[in-house]
Amino acid sequence: MTLWRHELRLLQRQRLSVLALALLALLTIAALGTGMAEVARQRAAIAAIPPAQAEDIGAVADYVVRTRDAGSAAYYSFHATWDAPAPLAFSALGMRDVAPYILRVRALGLEAQIYDGDTFNPEVALPGRFDFAFVLVFLAPLFVIALFHDLVSGEREAGRQRMLDALPRGGAALWRRRTGLRLILLWAALGLPFAVAAAVEGVAIDVVLLVLGVIVAYLLFWIGLAALVGRLRWSSVANAATLAAAWLVLVLIVPTLGNVVIDRAIPVGQGAEIALAQREVVNHAWDIPREATMRRFYATHPELADSPPLGSDFHYKWYLAFHQNGDESVAPKVRAYRAALERRDRAGRAFGWVLPSVGVQALLTRLARTDLTAQLAYQDRIRAFHARLRSFYYGYVFYDRPFGRDEFRRAPRFDDRAGG
Amino acid sequence: MRIVRLIARDELRLMLRNRVALIAFALIVLLTLVAVASSWSHQRGVAELRERHQHEAEHAFDAQPDRHPHRMVHYGHFIFRPLSPLAAFDPGVDAFTGNSMFLEGHRQNSPNFGDVRQSSLLIRFGQLTPAFVLQIVAPLLLIFLGFGSLARETERGTLRLLMLQGASRRQVVAGKLLALGGVALAAAAPAMLGLLVIAGQPGALGLPMLVIALGYLLYLGLWVVLILLVSAWVRRSRDALLVLVALWAVTTVLLPRAVPDLASGAVPLQNRLQTDVAIGRDLRRMGDSHNPDDPHFAQFKQALLDRYHVKRVEDLPVNYKGLLALEGERLTSELFDRYAAQSFAAQARQNGLVNAAGLLSPAIALRGLSMAAAGTDFAAHRRFLEQAEVYRYALVQRLNRMQAQDVSYADDTATDAGADRRKRIGGAHWRAIPDFHFIAPTDATLARAALPGLAILSLWLIAALALLGLATRRLGARR
Repeated sequence: MTLWRHELRLLQRQRLSVLALALLALLTIAALGTGMAEVARQRAAIAAIPPAQAEDIGAVADYVVRTRDAGSAAYYSFHATWDAPAPLAFSALGMRDVAPYILRVRALGLEAQIYDGDTFNPEVALPGRFDFAFVLVFLAPLFVIALFHDLVSGEREAGRQRMLDALPRGGAALWRRRTGLRLILLWAALGLPFAVAAAVEGVAIDVVLLVLGVIVAYLLFWIGLAALVGRLRWSSVANAATLAAAWLVLVLIVPTLGNVVIDRAIPVGQGAEIALAQREVVNHAWDIPREATMRRFYATHPELADSPPLGSDFHYKWYLAFHQNGDESVAPKVRAYRAALERRDRAGRAFGWVLPSVGVQALLTRLARTDLTAQLAYQDRIRAFHARLRSFYYGYVFYDRPFGRDEFRRAPRFDDRAGG
Repeated sequence: MRIVRLIARDELRLMLRNRVALIAFALIVLLTLVAVASSWSHQRGVAELRERHQHEAEHAFDAQPDRHPHRMVHYGHFIFRPLSPLAAFDPGVDAFTGNSMFLEGHRQNSPNFGDVRQSSLLIRFGQLTPAFVLQIVAPLLLIFLGFGSLARETERGTLRLLMLQGASRRQVVAGKLLALGGVALAAAAPAMLGLLVIAGQPGALGLPMLVIALGYLLYLGLWVVLILLVSAWVRRSRDALLVLVALWAVTTVLLPRAVPDLASGAVPLQNRLQTDVAIGRDLRRMGDSHNPDDPHFAQFKQALLDRYHVKRVEDLPVNYKGLLALEGERLTSELFDRYAAQSFAAQARQNGLVNAAGLLSPAIALRGLSMAAAGTDFAAHRRFLEQAEVYRYALVQRLNRMQAQDVSYADDTATDAGADRRKRIGGAHWRAIPDFHFIAPTDATLARAALPGLAILSLWLIAALALLGLATRRLGARR
């Protein structure tokens, strides 16, 4: 134990190393701070939904109660859905800056609504977020390099290596002690602030432990790489240069090359094609016999087939029916689009098995539920909610039941936890 | 001058003898070529796809049958953002902005289907483009090649030998500058060649390309000076390397991420739901066209009746419902514009904060310059959004005017079995509507937008040169 304390004292005397560790801790705290602030902002935006929504729906209700027309209610009412950040979201914001976490939908065709984005500044999103995942994946390896590139070569260059190797409990044990000490300090600089932030955000203890384990594993990878390079017995300068080049390749160049390869290998039929096709079907309904539209709709909604027949007037049941027909007509395209997105995502994660940088990023965004899978799950919740919305309004529109203030209150509400 | 050239040649020979340096140099050249080729073919593919979609959308619009004009207002139009030719060099925010937009009446939609939501997570690590290679990879290569150029000479005492043989400090530093500068030029050459290839494309603008080339040369030149500065200042070459790698990591990796995050925290943006609800609230305050007792629309109606000297809307020579639609669209669009301007202003403030941070990081200054000149920055995106809105408004109002003039009020309000037929107007009307044409910015506009970045980079270079002058004077002095 005294030997360990001695090593610590030696390390403390290296001003640069102490500075590096303090800087890493500081950057970690800053990244956790910005992440928590962003998540708090998103939570506040979600908390602000109900009053805004009440005001908006109230105005629609004031207008609709004059006619008690359920069709107008369905047409004019936008219903809010949201995707509350998971407890760990502060650490890896993932796609939450470019994909919406609040989306309002109405009972019309969903395919024209579900791909809408929220307001975001593209120039701010372009470089990526400054979050804990960034500090861990991008910056922590640089600190490993700073602390480890001359671990052995520095002593050799100072002419002390032979003596150190000859010492009792020197040699391999000494290097193990030095490596262990630096690993523990690096891990503490990253892990302690993270654990505190996770405790504040109420992250489950097993997830915290898992992340702490990931940090160790990732640090060990870079320490191992530094040790491998160190074995070549080059000068400290050559070690540092080689490790920095390895960092550049593993963290920046290979992932960007991977992106090019994946984009090439897995084409995604552009989402815009869905929107174009859906619009054609929806608007075509104005030019074909209304009975054809209704027949097609009743085929998929037999429970509504006993509703009163259409007159010659405009009726919202026909309007809602052709919107639904439009959605159903593009369903195969939607499935293909989604499957391609998932294939791209899987390929990206597959890179994570060979590239620790990508692997850690993928794992953190998965745990934080800020990745594509989480985005698609949110879309599924929106779809489920939209189905509930439609069947609620259909019950009134198809049977011409009057729609009053009570009905506005009875409309389905989105539940983030349940499936829509 | 002869001495300077000799020193430069000697430094280059040393670099050539260094296998690792040679391999690294070959790799960066290869990487740039791959970046140029892949980025170019990717952007070409994207451009072709958007053009095809645009064509399909225009065809579909023109092919619409006889309709009530208001049906066409809701049928709407899809437009696709054309790519700037220089996007192959620096795609900027293109992948983040969504490239298709649905234009319809009463609503201002967001552009959708940006590549960032359609790509694997790897896209967030950066995109392999010539700009990426020059901004991030090239400086690191220069650091590896040049960190020791002066520190090595002082460390090993060879500087004194050089000076004993009659070389002044200035000449030594100038020689090293020449050597590393030559390497920087060689490293930038493939990307500049790529730029030339892109220049051969139709629509490519000369002036912005010149500005881009100048900006990148300034940037790489700055790194050459910084490397020599640190190498002159620090006594040991290993310290020089550590300091330079740290400087590179902070200015090209850390700050470009941290500053935008701080800026977006400092200037909050209103989200879509807040905006939509606020627009709805303002609209209700301005007037409700559905409400017969609404003061604004009652006044509107009265003014119309007075103008045509009639008592009832049925007696108007034009279709009152069409006029109502025109007025409603005017009111909503006014609000859309106001809220869009607010959002644009907030985003511009955020970007202003980021650009000001160019004083802390030349990489940020260069990134802004490069995107601005390439026409792929936020301002370019905003240009598209504003033109799209102008087109949307013109389209919808044109259709509303058709409703006012070509559909009679009696037909429009009729609900008998044949009314639907009588409300429709000929499909030739849609074909007469002009297509959306994005008006590309002039080369002067793009070049001017890049000026602040260019100025900041020049400042950096001047400051670094001044410091290098100071460091040169005390080079090799005993400390």
